[in-house]
Amino acid sequence: MSDFDPGRRRFLGHLGLAGLGALGASSFLSACASSASGPTAGNGSGAVTIQSNLSSPQAKAAMEKLIANFNAQGKGTASLNTIASETFRTQLPTYLTSANPPDLYTWYAGSVANDYASRNLLLDVSDVWKSLGDYPQSLRTLSTDASGKQVFVPMNNYWWGFFYRKSNFARWGVREPKTWTEFLALCETLKSKGVPPIGIGLGDTPWVASAWFDYLNIRINGAPFHRELLAGKQRFDDPKVKAVLTRWREALPYFDPKGKAYPFQEATTALLAGKTGMFLIGTFFADAAPKDALGDLDFFQFPIVDPAVPVAEEAPTDGFFASAKTANPTGTRALLTYLAGVEAQEAYVKASSGIVLPANPGAKAADSPLVTKGKAMLDGAKELTQFFNRDSSDALQPTADTALTKFMDKPDQIDAILREWQSSAEKVFKG
Amino acid sequence: MTATISTTPVTPTRRRRRSARLSPLLVAFVLVPFAVESVWVFWPAIQGFWFSLTRWDGMSPPTFVGVDNYVEMAGDATFRGALLNTVIWLVLFGGLSVLGGFGMALILQRERRGVGFYRAALFTPVVFSLVVTALVWRVFYQPDGIADTLLRAIGLEQLIRPWLADPQTALYAVILPALWRQIGYVMVLFLAGLKAIDPALHEAARMDGANSWQRLRHVTIPQLRGVNAVVLSVIVIDSLRSFDIVWSLTKGGPYHSSELLSTYMYSTAFQGLRLGYASAIAVVIFVLALAVILGYLVRAFREEA
Repeated sequence: MSDFDPGRRRFLGHLGLAGLGALGASSFLSACASSASGPTAGNGSGAVTIQSNLSSPQAKAAMEKLIANFNAQGKGTASLNTIASETFRTQLPTYLTSANPPDLYTWYAGSVANDYASRNLLLDVSDVWKSLGDYPQSLRTLSTDASGKQVFVPMNNYWWGFFYRKSNFARWGVREPKTWTEFLALCETLKSKGVPPIGIGLGDTPWVASAWFDYLNIRINGAPFHRELLAGKQRFDDPKVKAVLTRWREALPYFDPKGKAYPFQEATTALLAGKTGMFLIGTFFADAAPKDALGDLDFFQFPIVDPAVPVAEEAPTDGFFASAKTANPTGTRALLTYLAGVEAQEAYVKASSGIVLPANPGAKAADSPLVTKGKAMLDGAKELTQFFNRDSSDALQPTADTALTKFMDKPDQIDAILREWQSSAEKVFKG
Repeated sequence: MTATISTTPVTPTRRRRRSARLSPLLVAFVLVPFAVESVWVFWPAIQGFWFSLTRWDGMSPPTFVGVDNYVEMAGDATFRGALLNTVIWLVLFGGLSVLGGFGMALILQRERRGVGFYRAALFTPVVFSLVVTALVWRVFYQPDGIADTLLRAIGLEQLIRPWLADPQTALYAVILPALWRQIGYVMVLFLAGLKAIDPALHEAARMDGANSWQRLRHVTIPQLRGVNAVVLSVIVIDSLRSFDIVWSLTKGGPYHSSELLSTYMYSTAFQGLRLGYASAIAVVIFVLALAVILGYLVRAFREEA
């Protein structure tokens, strides 16, 4: 379910905005304001409409199969409506606030869902959670809003790590590092062999840099501070945040200089071709990898910086929430119960290509050493975080993109960059 | 404009009498489009002005904040950068496409063997959708792409840089594809204008001993006045609405270095979810466009009077 990630933005759908002229501009903005009607879901027939952003061919086919299975069970009927990711992201608030909204949505757990819940836009799905007793507490907490009711049903999650090719590491005679010092030593070795050690892809996908920020922050300051920072309860110009960038600066000389110019998909190609040593990325990158390379891929956990800080890992969780205004809450809950079940989750994992971990502890993940290792890493973590935008909001993400790409270009301006970041973050929090 | 009207006080009365005899069909032809425009253009535009005075996230109802958005704008470095970039864009994109288009039209105006091929070749970029244009140019600019290979071939490899990712070059690297497309378009406009010039004028000038530069300066350019008006409006409007090519190549980045007012408005509205502030930016774009176009209209009226 990799394309749940909002970072994987596809703005092509918005190039229709070409005619965004002066007058047109204001009319375009207000057109959104006045369109309270939104899509009219087929509630009259009693079918539950599910609005899905899983538009990649395999994920779409997997969803179609799940819905067909559900309809065949005779517990209700559902219809799937697949929308291009980026359109989905920008239209989601409109869907939810419209008078006759679709019933069910694919989206993210955590801060994003809680924000909608605080506006009373989401259906209480505590009933569904009664049948999910074996789900881990971490997922239950993640799906619970501020008032203590569950508003989200997780489908699966995935992990981030430093991916590399086993054959290349063997050829270079290097091993996985455990600590930051070992990591820097590894970088130095690779550099001396003429390989740019760290791959990255910031052209078009600048949000990839946020993984570095997230990980260094949870390794140095811990997950609770990280969450508070992203919720606006701490400041970006805090010395603790400066410590994160200062640490990051130590690794900057080892980044592939070309990484600024190309997107993460091309950074993936570079990694597979042995043009970079390793790449901090989520498992979704493997979608683009040729099948024969998959067996050669391995990853290591983001190195430990301070052993005193409880280990946290990024595990973005994808799933569903429902509109509070649904005309068919019973059918919606029935569909959610089905989607949270072992059968549906295993069917999804089988049909989709991505390396994902089903949320239901009873459901089997794909049988590969990579997936087993990823699952073990997440199981061993004391805390899980989501990702920058998921722990804050899509609105805060661009402020991080600006600050972090600038930092990577001008690491001597940390103080100014953090001040700027704080002031643009304040504007986002203020609304 | 008022000055123009007061110098010719007779005209309005005469016009009014003529309009009394308008047929109902004509009235319908005017009123129906006006009603449609009102709903789809004027009313949303007026709403846009109202939203620029509010704070609004697109979900909760907008709250009125007075001129706060404009006050914030005055102190917003990103906005100033975007405004400056828009001016650079207007000057470079506008100026160079006029020069390039006019030059190409002059070269290609005479009917010669194969001239049709060159005209078609220059016009081809206009036919491509901007998304395709952006994809092509992205390949051109990518690391070790065509641009870098060319520079290496002529021994200028020290100039190689991440064109779209370097804040020094990003804006200009985006202007180039926009120009590549616009020059063909402007050329066609000028070609049409050049074709409409009576050859007898050139003939007469030549008889009077004017050289080719003098004929260009005193015959061709004055004769193109009508086309110039069209070209100017096209250029100004295209500059201010330039969005797609920037968005698909850099999204205004890296760190706002290729940000235009249009891209800043879009990202503020649909990424930052600050629709009030974005509306305020839209109002500024509107005022800029209006100022340029009114400026032109005032001049045009004066010349007529």
